[in-house]
Amino acid sequence: MSQRELDNLINSIAQAGHRVSGVERRRFLKSGLLMVGAAASATSVAGASESVGVPPNIPPWSKRLGRGVVSHPYGSPSPHEAHVQRRTVDWLTADRIASISFTPLADLNGIITPSGIVFERYHAGVPEIPPDQHRLMIHGLVKRPIILSMDDLMRFPSQSVIRFLECPANGGMEWRGAQMDKLQFSHGMLACCEWTGVRLATLLEEVGIDANAAWVLAEGADGAHMSRSIPMDKALGDALVVFAQNGEMLRPEQGYPLRLVNPGWEGNTWVKWLRRLEVGDKPWYHREETSKYTDLMADGTSREFTYVQECNSVVTSPCPEKPFRVKGKYMIQGLAWSGRGKIKHVDVSVDGGVSWHQAQFTSQVLPKALTRFALEWDWDGSETLLQSRAIDETGYVQPTYGQLRQARGTNSIYHKNAIHTWKLSPQGIVTNVQIS
Amino acid sequence: MFKFLSVVVCLLLLGACAPTMDGEAPEALKPGVDASFAYAGDRVGHFGFGQDATSIQIAGWDIDVRPDGQGLPVGSGSVADGESLYEEQCAECHGSFGEGVGRYPLLAGGEGSLTDGRPTKTVGSYWPYTSTLYDYIYRAMPFTQPVSLSADETYALTAYVLYLNDLVDDDLVLDQDNLASIRLPNEANFGPDPRPDVANTRCMQNCRDPNLIKIVSEVVSEAPTTLPINERTAVQSQQHPGQATYDQYCSICHNVGVGGAPTLDDAANWGVRLSAGVDVLVSNAINGMSSASGVMPAKGGFVHLSDEQVKSSVLYMVENLAASQ
Ligand code: HEC
Ligand code: HEC
Repeated sequence: MSQRELDNLINSIAQAGHRVSGVERRRFLKSGLLMVGAAASATSVAGASESVGVPPNIPPWSKRLGRGVVSHPYGSPSPHEAHVQRRTVDWLTADRIASISFTPLADLNGIITPSGIVFERYHAGVPEIPPDQHRLMIHGLVKRPIILSMDDLMRFPSQSVIRFLECPANGGMEWRGAQMDKLQFSHGMLACCEWTGVRLATLLEEVGIDANAAWVLAEGADGAHMSRSIPMDKALGDALVVFAQNGEMLRPEQGYPLRLVNPGWEGNTWVKWLRRLEVGDKPWYHREETSKYTDLMADGTSREFTYVQECNSVVTSPCPEKPFRVKGKYMIQGLAWSGRGKIKHVDVSVDGGVSWHQAQFTSQVLPKALTRFALEWDWDGSETLLQSRAIDETGYVQPTYGQLRQARGTNSIYHKNAIHTWKLSPQGIVTNVQIS
Repeated sequence: MFKFLSVVVCLLLLGACAPTMDGEAPEALKPGVDASFAYAGDRVGHFGFGQDATSIQIAGWDIDVRPDGQGLPVGSGSVADGESLYEEQCAECHGSFGEGVGRYPLLAGGEGSLTDGRPTKTVGSYWPYTSTLYDYIYRAMPFTQPVSLSADETYALTAYVLYLNDLVDDDLVLDQDNLASIRLPNEANFGPDPRPDVANTRCMQNCRDPNLIKIVSEVVSEAPTTLPINERTAVQSQQHPGQATYDQYCSICHNVGVGGAPTLDDAANWGVRLSAGVDVLVSNAINGMSSASGVMPAKGGFVHLSDEQVKSSVLYMVENLAASQ
């Protein structure tokens, strides 16, 4: 095919796009696309087609050598996985500096979120911090105020835990009705990583807190100087000051070189680029714990310091990004998590909540970590309302929308953990719905 | 404050109610778990790492302010001073009356709206404490130049934002002594977290009447972003020669639309561009172009790229455009 012919073809594809629509258009583009692809790849292997690697053919990659070691000194995912990306929803925030992006949950497996696709949330962009310049100051109601370099910090005893991280606004757009068209956007302010760091309690022991110490202010080194008040029971409990995530140093978007981790608690308390810990006797009531991250009830009152991310779950296959193609057997799969501990059970309903079936766990069941479940199901091709319902070790059962709205109204933005419904259409397409 | 009494008791009893790290401590950490997780007040300086922080060092970073006024620096500022500072440094985003420009936050208004269907939460209608305003303006504003204001300027701006909310008179001069005494109207409406506040039960059969189930809202989705696995492999079975260049250089702008760059999923935008023909696109990508939508630097600003590399990345973009439809 000559360049001219190629141009014509591309033009006709573009024009056809204006005339035909829907399925027809997609089918046309796809077939056109294969032709363009074949023509445009000058290096294309003779006979390249859908079946090139399929028996009885011997695929080309089996007949030649691949690239050598350190051609990618820091590897990245296969180019065939390029669609697995964080994405944002522009209308949520004024710009991309104080904004949010979402984890592509539909493409995750297991319980660990790869560091590069952990959702992002920050208020003044991602600072570039040279680790040798970074300092953590600990002061306030302490006997020995100190300043630690990263080297100092990493000499303390450290430990690694797998814990989920969730923004309390996850799903917060859906209080009044279904609004997000993809799983990535309905539940993607969620991730689960292995975190390595020093227990905050160890650091507080080192500085020696005064008898009236009851709160710790954590503050970031970014332009927002993001700050949150943390009660002392958490600080001396499972809070960690972490420098590593999934085996490597934190990613810049996740607070490189240092962040706080408050397992089970809302993500914005996990202050990133952590530069300062001040011990005090009262909370600070800063902007991110008054104007934001307080939950407004229907009667006009508000709840403050709503730290815990309560038990929640969602079906991740099928979902809008992972439709079903044919009738038959499937594993309905999903994720469950609770900020109060381990997941005890997950139940799945395929009839809009009339009856429920206990799903199996297909991952480790760790406290305050994503937990994977699955249920085998034979889809007969009819329209189906799919739901999952998680129960945690405290006995708390994930609530319905009705129950949440009854207790809180629809203006609270944060901490929406209602049972979620997907509608599976006879075509296998999945849409986000809410049911009465 | 009551719920934190228990903490103090913990401290006194030294580990009598030692918080444990729930669950799976790695085996190696298990021996002595409880002891190591109790707060041991007698271990001050046990490791001795780091330097002692001097008062000058602390003062440089200790910017936080509390509702009782603790942390406020010495200084003062009037509503009148605040007005001109606000016009210069804040109004472009927050509007002259605090009404918010575009999607930037409102700083005033919304009184009495908290029980509405769409409440408007502002300093005047929602915030509980004046100290938060001082603290936040200094730590984070103006958005593009945080921690650039002096104490006097911050007092003046705080006074002016209060004035925009009709909370103070225009002759107010705010300082470290009177700031905490200015109470905001919504303070009394904040209270502690009562959750769990819902009690669902684990029903398994006949949990509800199927006839009462109706879809009350639905988001009609576009085509799935992910092609089914077999079709995807077919389409991408070989990496396009332009992809590496695109991924490394062009995606910076074209993946998300930096500086007005058309993103690959913006079909309408590309439809118009494509109608000029691929040659034109290639030549514009090589030589650069600008229009109302933005500036495409020559070769995306990466002049070391060969014309061939740029051309092939344009072809890759054009194909991927089709692929994303
Ligand atoms: C370039 C745009 C811009 C300018 C200029 C700017 N701000 Fe802001 N302001 C923002 C953004 C964006 C936010 C929200 C940030 C976030 O959500 O993290 C904000 C938030 C605020 C808030 C909190 C609002 C709330 O209800 O939570 C206050 C108060 C504020 N700004 C005051 C000021 C003052 C005072 C100035 C001038 C000194 C100023 N801003 C200048 C963009 C701007
Ligand atoms: C710094 C951001 C930036 C980078 C990097 C960048 N582009 Fe662009 N590109 C733009 C902008 C902005 C436009 C829209 C310009 C306009 O419409 O005037 C654009 C437009 C284009 C167009 C449409 C041209 C037309 O005729 O309408 C093509 C093709 C293109 N870019 C290809 C590339 C390729 C190939 C690369 C990598 C080698 C690249 N761009 C890198 C910002 C960028």
